[in-house]
Amino acid sequence: MTSSFKSIEENLKAEAGKLLESGRVEIVLAYGRGYDENHPMPFVAKHPSDVANMVFNEYCIHNLARYLVRYPRGTKIAVAVKAADCRAVIQLIQEEKIKRDDVVFLGIPVYGMKNPKTGEIIDSKTTCGMYNPVLYDVLLGEEVHGQKIVSPYDVLADYEAMDKEARWAFWKKEFDRCIRCYACRKACPMCYCDPCFIDQSKPRWGDKSPQSHGNLMYHLTRFHHLAGRCIDCGECSRACPVDIPLYLFHKKVAKECEEMFGQAAGMSIDDKPALVNFRVDDSDKILE
Amino acid sequence: MSRIGVFVCHCGLNIAKTVRVSELAQFAATLPDVVVAKDYKFMCSTPGQEMIANDIKQHKLDRIIVTACSPLMHEQTFRKVLAASGLNQYLLTIVNIREQVSWVTHDIEEGTAKAKALLNGAVYRARLLAPLTSRVIDVNPDVMVIGAGIAGIQAALELANTGKKVYLVEKNSTIGGHMAQFDKTFPTLDCSACILTPKMDSILQHKNITMLTSCEVSEVKGFVGNFDITIRQKARYVDHGKCNACLACTEKCPGKGVSEWDEGLVKRKAIYIPFPQAVPQKPVIDRDSCTFFKKGKCRLCEKVCEQKAIDFDQQDTFIQVKAGAVILATGYDLMDTKPLIQYGYGKYPGVYNALEVERLFNSAGPTGGKVTMRDGREPQAIAVLHCIGSRDKNNSEHCSRVCCMYSLKFAHLFKEKTSADVYQFYIDMRAAGKGYEEFYNRIIGEDVKFIRGKGARVAQSPDEEGRLIVEAEDTITGKFIKVPVDMVVLSPAMVPRADSRDIARLFNLSTDKQGFFMERHPKLAPLSTMSEGIFIAGVCQSPKDIPDTVAQANGAAAEALTIVVKDKMELEATTAMVNPASCCACQNCVRVCPYGAPFFNESKGVSEINEALCKGCGLCASVCPSSAIIARHFTNDQVLAEMEGLMEF
Amino acid sequence: MSFEPKILGIACNWCTYTGADLAGTTRLEYPQNLRVVRVMCSSRINPSFIFRAFQLGADGVLVGGCHPGDCHYNTGNLYARRRLAVTRKILEFAGIEPGRFRVEWISASEGNKFAEVVTEFTRQIKNLGPQNKFKISQ
Repeated sequence: MTSSFKSIEENLKAEAGKLLESGRVEIVLAYGRGYDENHPMPFVAKHPSDVANMVFNEYCIHNLARYLVRYPRGTKIAVAVKAADCRAVIQLIQEEKIKRDDVVFLGIPVYGMKNPKTGEIIDSKTTCGMYNPVLYDVLLGEEVHGQKIVSPYDVLADYEAMDKEARWAFWKKEFDRCIRCYACRKACPMCYCDPCFIDQSKPRWGDKSPQSHGNLMYHLTRFHHLAGRCIDCGECSRACPVDIPLYLFHKKVAKECEEMFGQAAGMSIDDKPALVNFRVDDSDKILE
Repeated sequence: MSRIGVFVCHCGLNIAKTVRVSELAQFAATLPDVVVAKDYKFMCSTPGQEMIANDIKQHKLDRIIVTACSPLMHEQTFRKVLAASGLNQYLLTIVNIREQVSWVTHDIEEGTAKAKALLNGAVYRARLLAPLTSRVIDVNPDVMVIGAGIAGIQAALELANTGKKVYLVEKNSTIGGHMAQFDKTFPTLDCSACILTPKMDSILQHKNITMLTSCEVSEVKGFVGNFDITIRQKARYVDHGKCNACLACTEKCPGKGVSEWDEGLVKRKAIYIPFPQAVPQKPVIDRDSCTFFKKGKCRLCEKVCEQKAIDFDQQDTFIQVKAGAVILATGYDLMDTKPLIQYGYGKYPGVYNALEVERLFNSAGPTGGKVTMRDGREPQAIAVLHCIGSRDKNNSEHCSRVCCMYSLKFAHLFKEKTSADVYQFYIDMRAAGKGYEEFYNRIIGEDVKFIRGKGARVAQSPDEEGRLIVEAEDTITGKFIKVPVDMVVLSPAMVPRADSRDIARLFNLSTDKQGFFMERHPKLAPLSTMSEGIFIAGVCQSPKDIPDTVAQANGAAAEALTIVVKDKMELEATTAMVNPASCCACQNCVRVCPYGAPFFNESKGVSEINEALCKGCGLCASVCPSSAIIARHFTNDQVLAEMEGLMEF
Repeated sequence: MSFEPKILGIACNWCTYTGADLAGTTRLEYPQNLRVVRVMCSSRINPSFIFRAFQLGADGVLVGGCHPGDCHYNTGNLYARRRLAVTRKILEFAGIEPGRFRVEWISASEGNKFAEVVTEFTRQIKNLGPQNKFKISQ
């Protein structure tokens, strides 16, 4: 670790305090203490005195970009972002949900983040193969260098190797377990639709009760809606109470999109979301 | 609950041969909400239409399904029946059991089964159809014509003569276009200026025409019936309101620029009119060659101008014009033949392109109509090379259509004006047109040497300085030949204007592979475009000769008139709309729409759609993640219901 | 009895639907397993339509649009190309045979191509057999 969690926390408090004091932002989105050390929570600081309650440790895995769109347009917000979170904010800027000028990126270069439920290190599953935020206004620790960079898609190998029958069996089993609590879309920084397509009654895209065909429609369509937009933070899977590995499907779609369109989600505020864009020279091969 | 009437057409035996039509009608009667189901020999006939109309009244039908030929054939026919019976015309569904069933199978079992599935889908869809009404808007009665060559001039005059106000926009300082550069026109050999300049003068005199020279379109807003166009008028540095066209300035001017009008063959003054019959007959200053603009002093023109019309401080100005319809007649460029290094254009002074030769023949041209080459010699042997860059997979695949004929015209004029031997190198001779074959025969009789073979290369003669060798394969004898000449004339491909794609973007047109504007339909709508209210005429659509160009211009004028002759117009009813309660403000619709119809309403925080701009493609509805966009007549639930019906059988 | 698949077609009004009409006008025979939904543009096709079609029991889905560059709405099919490509990848990763979903560019003048594509696609779906993965059993 280049900077300790403690020093990041100190920097976070200091920078957040400065930003609130100067009036540069109205709100700082960061982490606060939950019911114990291992369960920090998203935390909103509105007043300089609030920053004392901020924490940062290896369990601060939430993607706070989720909360940005809950504030009125034009609200000045600083947000603590790890690598994936940062990409979510960039993606939201691409989608004009928020303006670059309205947000201050408090970048956190970090690895070794742990899932509080299981205690496992989640880097390979979720950090998009990177440890440093791609964009920041303030960096809360030293950039991470020398750490082994793995492809975010390595974990897919086993699933890609399955034949189609095995893949269907795998996903059918997983989707059939879905209880349609929608925690995945609640946790997802890119799922900001209100209402979600699946809640519509005209048309009724799929059964709203946890039946297998409604579940299938919900998840497949959601994968499409997030194609080219999912920044691989893994929040959906961690939020899932029945542990459906949604991140695998999202990663697969992200991998295909990156190959087909030469662009990964949330890497530059100048990109246009890949599925509402085209190039005249896109190849017909992508349909084969 | 809807009340559906199903009408199955036999189309004589066209359908009845491979679909059991009465069984299909009986089947229809069993489907939900179907109140009446009938079959009849010819549904589109008057008795057939009357049957539908009567049943609408008798059975109080509110949805009609006609199971017959393709909707592309008779949808309009049956819509009128509904409208005449007081039923909204969008409550009609056509089931295509002719083109897509009975004509593509011989098996009556298969045909009947498929027809049933299609009909079932239609019933499911029909139950969800909604009546649609078209919005009515006021129409601006004026027309804008862009490009003032022969196409634009003709269209403008036709429209102005009907009493419509016309704005004629031209980027050059004079109107006239390429036709004004020509000397003679094929096949009649009448003098180009003699037939064109009276029309140019009529433009100037016409009370209904506003001529906007040195002007380019910079922005287009609005839609059919209500275009709002911004025109940029380039600074001319001469106040045309004050200038009395005495042209004293042009005599005194010491500046020298290259004459664009004479294709760069000679110099012109820095303050100039392009040619003696230019319209308007008023000079402009070319900044690049003006001594004052280059060196900061001179102002001779200002000194001699009694009208005080010279204004060195003039700036580009922007003019706002409103119009109900627009005609694009932006013409063509000749292909730049320099990159075809095998022909030596730009390298050997003896190689000319076709427009340069037009100027050489012209009595108002650089040589006063005498055929003398760049070095002052009169050529003794001349080769005219057809299809340079045209009909060429590496350059322009299309045939430029006029080159054969003007190349023959060149042969005639060379024979008339010089004593040179004239060779024509051609792939084959295309003389389709009134009087064209006759013209070809006439030229054959004029001692012109025809070599059937494309000119392959032009090289410097190793023996005689200034002489050129044309190499070709004579495909009649099969021999490779080398012909020594003094002058080579290239007949290059006609290509779209360099800025044609920019114009297309401004007006939301498609272009073909080359960049020529795409017509709405290659056969049945050759002058209209996919942008409602925008019409095209002349070579901007594809290469063509003057008679075809004029005919198109007249046609485009008539098409434009069909819009501006009415003071109100109906807009497309099958547009998209946003349900604001479901809009998630992702703005995908705004990003993707090819017509800029959706926009984001910041104050409401939702997208909205300007229905006047919407063409009803439905793209926005498919990219809308929260299903907030309703693509009328093709709504999500209508499509899903149809699919369900189709898959049930 | 041999397996007769149900194939859903979604065709754009201006190119593929008109091309299908041309196939009829020129009396080209092709298998009758295809049922076509007409939409104005291939870009109208919501990815969920495809998922739904398989749930409704389609054994194959064939989408037809104008050739890229010839779209009646300028750029509609260029968006559709990307969006449908992703739809295909999702189906594939979920375990649907990629051969069950095809996108073809068929112009209004390509009646021949329409008939050929339908014939070939129907043969392919027959070989793949019934699609029961997504199909909602009654």
